[in-house]
Amino acid sequence: MNSLIKLELTRALRNRKFLFFSVIYPSALFLLIAGNADSSAEVDGTGLTLPTYMMVSMASFGALTAVLMGNSERIAKERESGWVRQLRLTTLPGRGYVLAKTAGAAVVSLPSIVIVFVVAALVKDVRLDAWQWLALTGAIWAGSLVFAALGVALGYLASGDAVRPITMLTYFGLSILGGLWMPTTTFPQWLQDIAEWLPTHAYAAIGRAIEQCRAPQTQDIAILAVFFVLFAGGAAWLYRKDTLKA
Amino acid sequence: MTTTAATTTTPVVGFDQVSKVYGDVRAVDGLSLSLHPGETVALLGPNGAGKSTTLDLLLGLRQPDSGQVRVFGTGPREAIVAGRVGAMLQSGGLMDEVTVAELVRLACALHPKSYPVGEVLSRAGISQIADRKVDKLSGGQAQRVRFALATAGDSDLIVLDEPTTGMDVTARQAFWATMREQADQGRTVLFATHYLEEADAIADRVLVLHRGRLLADGTAAEIKAKAGARRVSFDLEGTVDEAPLRALPFLTSLDVSGHTVRIQSSDADATVHALYGLGVYPRNLEVSGLGLEQAFVAITQAEEAKQS
Repeated sequence: MNSLIKLELTRALRNRKFLFFSVIYPSALFLLIAGNADSSAEVDGTGLTLPTYMMVSMASFGALTAVLMGNSERIAKERESGWVRQLRLTTLPGRGYVLAKTAGAAVVSLPSIVIVFVVAALVKDVRLDAWQWLALTGAIWAGSLVFAALGVALGYLASGDAVRPITMLTYFGLSILGGLWMPTTTFPQWLQDIAEWLPTHAYAAIGRAIEQCRAPQTQDIAILAVFFVLFAGGAAWLYRKDTLKA
Repeated sequence: MTTTAATTTTPVVGFDQVSKVYGDVRAVDGLSLSLHPGETVALLGPNGAGKSTTLDLLLGLRQPDSGQVRVFGTGPREAIVAGRVGAMLQSGGLMDEVTVAELVRLACALHPKSYPVGEVLSRAGISQIADRKVDKLSGGQAQRVRFALATAGDSDLIVLDEPTTGMDVTARQAFWATMREQADQGRTVLFATHYLEEADAIADRVLVLHRGRLLADGTAAEIKAKAGARRVSFDLEGTVDEAPLRALPFLTSLDVSGHTVRIQSSDADATVHALYGLGVYPRNLEVSGLGLEQAFVAITQAEEAKQS
């Protein structure tokens, strides 16, 4: 299985378009949003400056991009081309393909997180303790598994021309409504009530809790855990259905 | 064919009353067959005969609705995990954005009894394009890469589904030469084809599949014989009396149009000999062989006539 992971990685790192979108794009978007912001202005009721706040949002967004886009479209495409069938004629265990895809995406998501941090620290003077930087990286990276599972599920759910619009809709929907692009405090109340239950909102909230030097809220962890079980369970179910169909 | 050896060893592939239904279509219908070590077997049939479904069942990509599929005495998946089966699918897509060499390296890494990558590349005739991206290959080149994936290791059974699709005549010949080497090393080779001349030229056993059922099983020569192997045609003067012609030995079909008589015979020598014994003087006598294609059409028609 390691050989497939290695090849998936080689390919991911070779694909400039994918690298641009998952590694450069979140940092660029961070500069666009937080670039002109006053480094001392705080986001309502968080005690965090706008750059600090947006840094977590964009790092989460970058990780989301890498794992969601990396998985769904490729899986759908390779399912259709018959590559998945061809792999089933090798010793690769059944779940090996999905695991390799996820591992490949996770390795791309790490630089996208780190580059947002570096840009934020260098350009916008975001300062945190060493343990915070490490904890943030770990939490955002680990949390991205939730969306990797979602990517796998979408890849087995949709195929052909349908997979891209469905992925895009999910991707932008989760990003914007979950408050990754702008603080949800700018939303009308009814939308804020919905946003609170989205996995992306919980994802970024955990990162911000680390920035605020406090323990993440149980509700956020629970939301992420429930979504992970939902997405992974859905992916496993769809995968089995696809296998029986051959 | 070594039928004596076959009864004492485990069959390479055993189908026992296997059926697979898609909706109303019985894609494979009570199929029983066994392949023996060292055989080169062609699975022959028109599109929709159930060839691909049969291979999918053999490889464990689909599960039979009833019956049992055994490969080397175990389930298909166990045989694959043991590295005993190499397969090339008609619909076998390739990973794109990687090079040919990288893909073959992966196949070698995944095979428990793999060959060195360079050897696999050169045997499949793709050393020249090893650095090319997989998505930049022609149809024939892609088929060779698929062949390389199927032969990355020392498998005992090679399964090929329509392997020469997309190849020109030269590429096709080169491909079969490569594949013969595989068979000469004592491997069992099973390939599905609708290029009938391929079955005739390559296989030492031909399985004719029609509507999911085994229509004929034998050497290419036996299958030709079954359908009337040779065609005899000649002209007769005067009115042609059909009755004595119809009574000729080994005759399988008779067609009289005007003065011209066309006969199909499973033993043309004996038929022609008896023809002269009738005291007639056949002119423009021609005896010609039937290709497997015509033999195949004849068997299929006979089967359809039986059913209707």
